Amino acid sequence: MDWLVTFLQVVFSGLAAGSVYALIALAMVIIYRTTEVLNFAQGDMAMLCANVGLAFLVTGALPFPLAVAAALAFAALLGACAEFFFLRRAKEPTVLSLIIITLGLEMIVFGFASWKWGGEPRDFPIPLSPADVLVVGGVIMGHLELATIGIAGLIIAALFFFLARSKAGLAMRSTQQNRAAARLMGIRVRRVEMGAWSLAAMIGCIAGLLVGPAATVEPYMMWDPMMKGFAAAVLGGITSLPGAALGGAIIGIVENLFGFYVSTAFKSVVPFAVILLMLAIKPSGLLARHYVKKV
Amino acid sequence: MDMKRSYYKDLRLFDTLPLGLWLCACCLVLAAVPFHVGNYTLYLLGYIAINVIVAVGLNVLVGYTGQISLGHAGFFAIGAYAAVLLVNAGLPIPLALPAAALIAAAFGLLLGLPALRLEGPYLAVITLGFGLTVENIFAKTPAFGGATGPAVPAFTLTLVPGWSREQNLYLLIMLLAGASLLAVRNLMRTRVGRAFVAIRDSDVAAACAGVDLTWYKTLAFAVSAFFTGLAGGLFAFHLGQVDPTTFNLMLSILFLAMVVIGGVGSILGPVLGAVAISLLNLKLKGLQLADFEQIPLFGPSIAGFLGRNFMETGMANIQFIVYGAILVSIMIFEPLGLYGLWVRSKRYWRAWPL
Amino acid sequence: MLKQTLKIGALAAALCATALPAGAQQLSGVTDTEIHIAAWSPQTGPAAPWGAVARGTAMLFQMVNDAGGINGRKIVFHSFDDQYNPAKTVAGIKELVEKEPGIFGVASGVGTSSGLAVKDYLMERGIPWVGPAAGSLHWITPPQKALFAMYPLYADEAKLLTRYLVEKEGKKKIAIFYASDEYGENGHRGAVAEMEKLGIKPVAEVPVNQADRDLKSHLLKLKESGADAVLMWVNPTHAVITLKTAAALQFAPQWAVSSTLSDAALMNNISGGLWKNILFASFGELPDANTPEVKKYRDAFSKYAQQGERWGVFFMAGIGFVEPMVEGLKRAGRNLTRENFIKAMETIKDFKGIMGRVSYGPNERQGQREIFLARTDDSGVKVTQLTPWTTVK
Repeated sequence: MDWLVTFLQVVFSGLAAGSVYALIALAMVIIYRTTEVLNFAQGDMAMLCANVGLAFLVTGALPFPLAVAAALAFAALLGACAEFFFLRRAKEPTVLSLIIITLGLEMIVFGFASWKWGGEPRDFPIPLSPADVLVVGGVIMGHLELATIGIAGLIIAALFFFLARSKAGLAMRSTQQNRAAARLMGIRVRRVEMGAWSLAAMIGCIAGLLVGPAATVEPYMMWDPMMKGFAAAVLGGITSLPGAALGGAIIGIVENLFGFYVSTAFKSVVPFAVILLMLAIKPSGLLARHYVKKV
Repeated sequence: MDMKRSYYKDLRLFDTLPLGLWLCACCLVLAAVPFHVGNYTLYLLGYIAINVIVAVGLNVLVGYTGQISLGHAGFFAIGAYAAVLLVNAGLPIPLALPAAALIAAAFGLLLGLPALRLEGPYLAVITLGFGLTVENIFAKTPAFGGATGPAVPAFTLTLVPGWSREQNLYLLIMLLAGASLLAVRNLMRTRVGRAFVAIRDSDVAAACAGVDLTWYKTLAFAVSAFFTGLAGGLFAFHLGQVDPTTFNLMLSILFLAMVVIGGVGSILGPVLGAVAISLLNLKLKGLQLADFEQIPLFGPSIAGFLGRNFMETGMANIQFIVYGAILVSIMIFEPLGLYGLWVRSKRYWRAWPL
Repeated sequence: MLKQTLKIGALAAALCATALPAGAQQLSGVTDTEIHIAAWSPQTGPAAPWGAVARGTAMLFQMVNDAGGINGRKIVFHSFDDQYNPAKTVAGIKELVEKEPGIFGVASGVGTSSGLAVKDYLMERGIPWVGPAAGSLHWITPPQKALFAMYPLYADEAKLLTRYLVEKEGKKKIAIFYASDEYGENGHRGAVAEMEKLGIKPVAEVPVNQADRDLKSHLLKLKESGADAVLMWVNPTHAVITLKTAAALQFAPQWAVSSTLSDAALMNNISGGLWKNILFASFGELPDANTPEVKKYRDAFSKYAQQGERWGVFFMAGIGFVEPMVEGLKRAGRNLTRENFIKAMETIKDFKGIMGRVSYGPNERQGQREIFLARTDDSGVKVTQLTPWTTVK
């Protein structure tokens, strides 16, 4: 049954990687649903928040939970500023010009982080050691990986309840469905949009804080996760939150299975092959409702 | 600007005679350049011209047909590799370059097929995947030179005897750039061009009016890939070296930025965008702390603050901040890009002093 | 309409007729008081940590200038950022070479593809280039009159490490984990060639892409192959991720790494203390060594270096790769031409700065061929040298 243990090990590792992709995908979906913008700056915003968290932890000498909270607060502020100063100012936004604005924002954030902290990789010290593992039936599960999967799951559940049950979540959903009608009903749509960006930035921050300890903190740390997260968001349907989570898990698992059983050289390309296959069958993504365009 | 009062006026190659003459004057100036300047300026102009070809080609797809592509670096790479491998295999350069462009166009046709059912973010992801796949395949295959890339043969085409290699290459690039601009302008005046624009404005209505979506959408991808592949082949000879990591996502984004910053849906737009982005790329240099101290009044305190809180070794990254800020400001203040700025200033001066 | 046409025509004719000064002649890069030397490095971009190389060279030149210059001339160092993009390297070099007063020579220069893009241009003009910061075969095959390579070949390091693993540590099942770029592939080829000579085959050969941050499948593959030693030819970030992932998978082979990872203090720092018992190759004296030259530069570092700079292997490489150039400039004397300089470089035999011994000759363009192996201990910080300086045959 050795092959089964190995297989499960690969799947578990894929799930851990996929959780990070799922978080980024969630962030992108939240922004896309509320403001119809593909946020290409998501990865680097997360990187900036991870750097800020590291700065609070090491230079500021804050205890770990406080440093995380400070990083999250910074992320919320960053998201709100991004929406207010960059996206809202666009006069007659077309899809392309919004993409270029997010790309410009990404360059600014990247340049700022590289300038402040330099291009060299740094260590992110956390209370968990990489050698802490839990062995279940031959499958070795690192504590950090378990924490990643657990935290991602918690956030997904929390988001679901927030959007389905709370007033703010209701406001978000109605803004997405019909902006004008929501405004007429008394919902402060501009505030909702800013809130969506803040929320997405916070989720991205958590993704960055999970990648940092597993890798190193350097300016390019979130490039690959962000690409995979984007792919996961599209795979699940760019307007569907459960789709984003599912897409992340699928991409993480498929990628790791391919990398282990076939070849690590082309590992990064496999997610796109999967998406191509999937979009050929279902053009609007896994879980999104079929894309209906008014003519 | 000027109202077109007849159908045939709309079809003219140059709107007015002075415009045609300005363009001829530009051509003369560019042709006279090699007599006066050194290699560096020729290299710079060649680099800009190659980017112009790409931008114009991408504009056909993005500006005129309304699709999106984040993977054009893939076509650029295909053009570069194909040109080099064909010349290495013995094909003369005047045949290898068009052949490489046609190979890229064939891949463009392939990439156009998913575009038939997809839009927006979905299409963006597929093209992104295409770009990444091409880069990966070229980097990993020993037949294509692996991580180092194939050896680029020397550019031996002599257009004007007595001119140096760099001058001949410059002339070829300029001729092809001019030909591409003419070709795209011409294309947009024909039925095919009007079909592209119809697809952009509303593909359902276009289909109802009899435009064959399958054919024209894939054709748009193929045409755009053709020009990008041609530029890629020229780039291989221009740089003298082909390295697979040059054709990455950042390059695709740069191409897209050229088109959007310049102004989609016109010929002048991508040219302006290509010039602007190429110059930003090659000319933007990092600053030193000493430069900050030059600022009157607050200089030394700013320099002190920066020195204490920012890594001096990372100061070169200011160029990214500047680059990003330029992109964002152009998009926010003038959504139509540099071409929009151009049209607005023309309008202002035409009506001056009203 | 006619007036406009005439105006445009006149303007165009005037522009064509302007005779700007033609900049066709070769600029020497040397004046009575200055020697102009250029270099490129990735100050920004994915290879930004290697930007320290150019900063090291800058410090060396500053020290030389402060000590009075070379034969009455000061060195003016033109270092620019090419972001590891060959198009920018070519633009920067062409601009510097063709603008007054030109460039006398090129020092170090990071990146194989950036270097290859300008190599032909520089060689055609006979511009000497000393110490390309990449251990690639391209600099010496075929050997160029004006190109003096310094960095020992990556393949040679791999061979020495493999030999040591098999002969001194008795490892039989060696796997290779390499980056899929020029650097990694050179190491990979060297290791495989050496293993063939020793009669064994690698149990796994796993490539990794530059952008990958999730290395779990790579490590699982290495673990499943049952390797008891793994040769690592990757960049520092990947090395750290590898060790962390290996710890989480309870996989603990003998790691043997290349010289780019030889900065033990740095690696131990960024891996959070995991850099224990790592076997590595080194092409220069270690950062905490106490030879007189290293001490001299280390002391100067505190005076000259920018805020945020780290005294590490890359910075030292920038100094060490260019020391022979300074020596060659001194030997060329006051009458400094490119030919004199090249002849002077060829007289350098067994020159020792902070790298290994450097020798050139009329037909020898690979200056340093020797490296040594060392190992970190359980603390991850203390380093013991295992072999003397060895030239790999």
